[in-house]
Amino acid sequence: MNDLQCLLRKATRRTENSVEVDVVEIEIVEVETEEVMSEATPSTETRTAAPHDVSVSPDQALTPQTMCPAFGSLRVLTRIDGVQTAMVTDTGCLYGLTFVTHFYAARKSIAAPALGTQELMAGNVAEAARAACEEAARTPGTKLVAALSLCVAETAGLTEEMLPAQINGAEVVLVRVPAYAIHSHPEAKDVAISALLKKFTAPARPTDAQGVETPLTYDQPDTQPEDLSRKVIMLGEVFPADPITVDAALKKMGASLAANLPSRNLDDYKIAGKVGAIAALHPFYVQSVATLRAAGVPIVSGAPIGAEGSYGWLKGIGNALKLDPERVEAVAAEERDKCRALIAANPLSGRIHVCGYEGNELGYARLLVEAGAQVPYVSTSIDKSLYTAADEAWLKAHGTIEVVYRKKLEQDIAALDRYQPDLVLGTTPLSAAAKERGIPGLYYTNMLSVRPLFLSAGLAGTIGLIRDALSRAPRYQWMREFFTGETTAVITPQAINTMD
Amino acid sequence: MEHSQTPSSPSQIQLIRDLDTTSGYWAAVWTFCCLPDVHVICDAPIGCFNLVGTAVPDYTDAIPHIDNLTPSVMREQEVTMLGTAGAVRRAVEIVRVQHPNRRLIVVSTAESEMISSDHADWLSKLEPPVPFYWSRSLEEDEWAGRDRALLWLWHNFGARHGNTVAPSAKQVNLIGPTYGCFNAPADVHEVKRLIEGAGGHIGLVYPFAARLSDTPRLAESSVNVVMYREFGEGLAQALGRPYVFAPFGVRETTDFIRKLGRLLGTEDQAEAFIEQEKRTTLQPLWDLWRGPQGDWFPTTEFAVVAGRSYAEGLVRFLGDELGMRPVFATGRPIRPGEMDNLAVREFLHKRQPGFVFGSINEKIYLAEAGARATHFIPAAFPGPIVRRALGTPFMGYSGAVYIVQEMVNRFYESVFNFLPIDTIQPTGPVSAPVAPPAGRVAWTDAARARLDSYLENIPWLSRISASRDLRTQIEAYALRHHIAEVTPEVVESALQRASA
Repeated sequence: MNDLQCLLRKATRRTENSVEVDVVEIEIVEVETEEVMSEATPSTETRTAAPHDVSVSPDQALTPQTMCPAFGSLRVLTRIDGVQTAMVTDTGCLYGLTFVTHFYAARKSIAAPALGTQELMAGNVAEAARAACEEAARTPGTKLVAALSLCVAETAGLTEEMLPAQINGAEVVLVRVPAYAIHSHPEAKDVAISALLKKFTAPARPTDAQGVETPLTYDQPDTQPEDLSRKVIMLGEVFPADPITVDAALKKMGASLAANLPSRNLDDYKIAGKVGAIAALHPFYVQSVATLRAAGVPIVSGAPIGAEGSYGWLKGIGNALKLDPERVEAVAAEERDKCRALIAANPLSGRIHVCGYEGNELGYARLLVEAGAQVPYVSTSIDKSLYTAADEAWLKAHGTIEVVYRKKLEQDIAALDRYQPDLVLGTTPLSAAAKERGIPGLYYTNMLSVRPLFLSAGLAGTIGLIRDALSRAPRYQWMREFFTGETTAVITPQAINTMD
Repeated sequence: MEHSQTPSSPSQIQLIRDLDTTSGYWAAVWTFCCLPDVHVICDAPIGCFNLVGTAVPDYTDAIPHIDNLTPSVMREQEVTMLGTAGAVRRAVEIVRVQHPNRRLIVVSTAESEMISSDHADWLSKLEPPVPFYWSRSLEEDEWAGRDRALLWLWHNFGARHGNTVAPSAKQVNLIGPTYGCFNAPADVHEVKRLIEGAGGHIGLVYPFAARLSDTPRLAESSVNVVMYREFGEGLAQALGRPYVFAPFGVRETTDFIRKLGRLLGTEDQAEAFIEQEKRTTLQPLWDLWRGPQGDWFPTTEFAVVAGRSYAEGLVRFLGDELGMRPVFATGRPIRPGEMDNLAVREFLHKRQPGFVFGSINEKIYLAEAGARATHFIPAAFPGPIVRRALGTPFMGYSGAVYIVQEMVNRFYESVFNFLPIDTIQPTGPVSAPVAPPAGRVAWTDAARARLDSYLENIPWLSRISASRDLRTQIEAYALRHHIAEVTPEVVESALQRASA
């Protein structure tokens, strides 16, 4: 078989799930070829009974969409200056996680013990973990060693007590992220951050003479140093420009940003328990929020996304920090009005699916809806919780038909055919499926990493990006037709940029 | 060649840095999933599925994802209580309906092996039976794993039919690439060109561009070419026909073509092809050898960390044939006495040859050492790199020319970067201090020897300018401190100041 045939064949394979009649014909040719070639494929079913008409209900969907959850922890930890990681796991896992860490997180060497059947059977996991931690701590300037305990080590049993608290002055933290128990990439970020916060954040709740904790109240006398009491730490990965615009808005209100977690600076984790408020930007920082709340820090949830979101978030920060209400109202209203003006000048139109695995899809979808887009379908890798409720209710009140948690690829692909969107922000397999249908598709994770999102500045950047993506439909249609021979029946009305 | 081995730690725990070789599970998926009429169900937590099927092949093979792979998705309840049979059964039932023309194979993972999830028995009782492949993920590396997976395919899907097939006189199979093989498309393209040039017809390129149903046809070829020393030889031996390994460099490629000619009875055609290649494909090598570029070869130092075939092939071609100096070379799978990554890292931190062929690991170690005068050339996974163009082979005559072309162009880059420049930015880099007139400062012999030994660690091409710069710096230092004679101590102090 020559290369071209091979290419054609692979193109044919990719279209297998679509519904076009000509695809089925191509596949019939394929079946005949198989039968001529050998009996190695025993199936007697014909292609006419193919699964194209089988609707995909959740119980038929098999493929959860998330990066390996453990990578969420690695990404957070390896990016901190002075943190070295020791990974306790089998070689296949180690290879994959090292690969993605070196590519996306940090150019840092990663230490590990060799863990095969022999070591696991001999019960050497703790000893192996200690040896890897010692190796990791040898790197000059190491302040903290993060021991990552993954599926195999967790199954074998590795506990905090088995590791030294310190090696050569460097703290040792056990971060437990077996992928069978932590179900998504964002939740593993929470595991890593909360492990650090637990290490560095002593509970601030005072005890009475009997040693009983006094009830937590935000009105208790403020004994914190003055410089931190008017400061906010944002909790959640953001585009690098976002903290700058947020800080500028906070300064106008009489406050400022102390740090953004996850941070490259270990000290930022140490002050998290002492600031005036924590802004938990994303809904999945459940453990981190619990740790900080126990330390007595007020929590503001939600993010400054879009007109309503920015207004509400700034007001929330003002309340938590007890800032001058008039000043806060002025700044918040100014941001809201700027957002509205931007939307009025450049509204979005078109149908967009937001289907990433980052855990902050609902907020992103809100922005698109506010800007004028239809978003009938939103899906995410995290589970429904108290922290997702507000965004889900808002979306459902503004035309979103389905919000899917712990989503599977099959559900997302079925939604493509159900709603026929003009743009898909998805995982890599889903974006590929959209492009195979001639629909512009982008990897949601990439989208987040190229534009700011917060306040009016972020809104402007994001709307610009989405408008541009919507305008590219003709290119996607041309590519589809060239590589698959299938034409896209409907030219989307948003197409303002053509190939000529 | 300098070798060293990292001593194992006292506790006999073997330590790993930046693992470069993955497991038998990855090998199985990457081998079986090349065949589009196969669908693999991996008995895996979500992470093992995502890394092997999407996150890594996005960047090793430049594909959106492997679309004939589905996970059982084991969760905590499967690991601790239920076992994974139910999850596997559900996946089998659904995938079977969705893809009736694909042959299912269930593959174990490290975690499923850890909890002893052996499904062979019940899967064999299904109608039709589903084969179970125990990937030995806790013991076997990716090379042994691929070798065994290829043999398993032959024994289960080929041997029964294939043993009755009479070989076709001039047909040649190419046994080798799977997903995750560095540079495979270009190398396959070149080796096919060589086979056809020698008078052969291409049979199967297995499993890279074949179907499972083709497997019996492996027996149709009278000769097999094994792409890699690392794996594939097992299948070639089982097929019972003569086999040769794909070649590197001019001499080995010439021998390869001649040997094929003898095996196929096409000696004259093979000789004519070699003569024609000398005047076409290989002419640039002859020209560069005769030109000024060839003069650099004897002083060019290089190091290799790569798959066994690449490591040995590059040493034979660049070292033995062209006369460049191998500083170290270490292949994968690693052999006793070869440098592991801990040793490679230690070496590269101390000394950096002009060229390093390797994976992202070596690139990181060079970056850690601040090596600016070393050219890194990707030659192995792990590491994100697109190697899908057909014109970038390392193997064969085309590969010989391509490698030398790459190296010479990087020499040119070095020359460009060392030439003086006047920047248009007034605040641009300050130019090096102007040398004091020669002879104003005297040097002791020992001081000269100290400078020479320091320069030994700098790649040869950069040494001339480094020598000039360092002499200038040391003499300027001496003059500033009113030192009339440069001693080794003065060199030492000046170098310390320079590196600070």
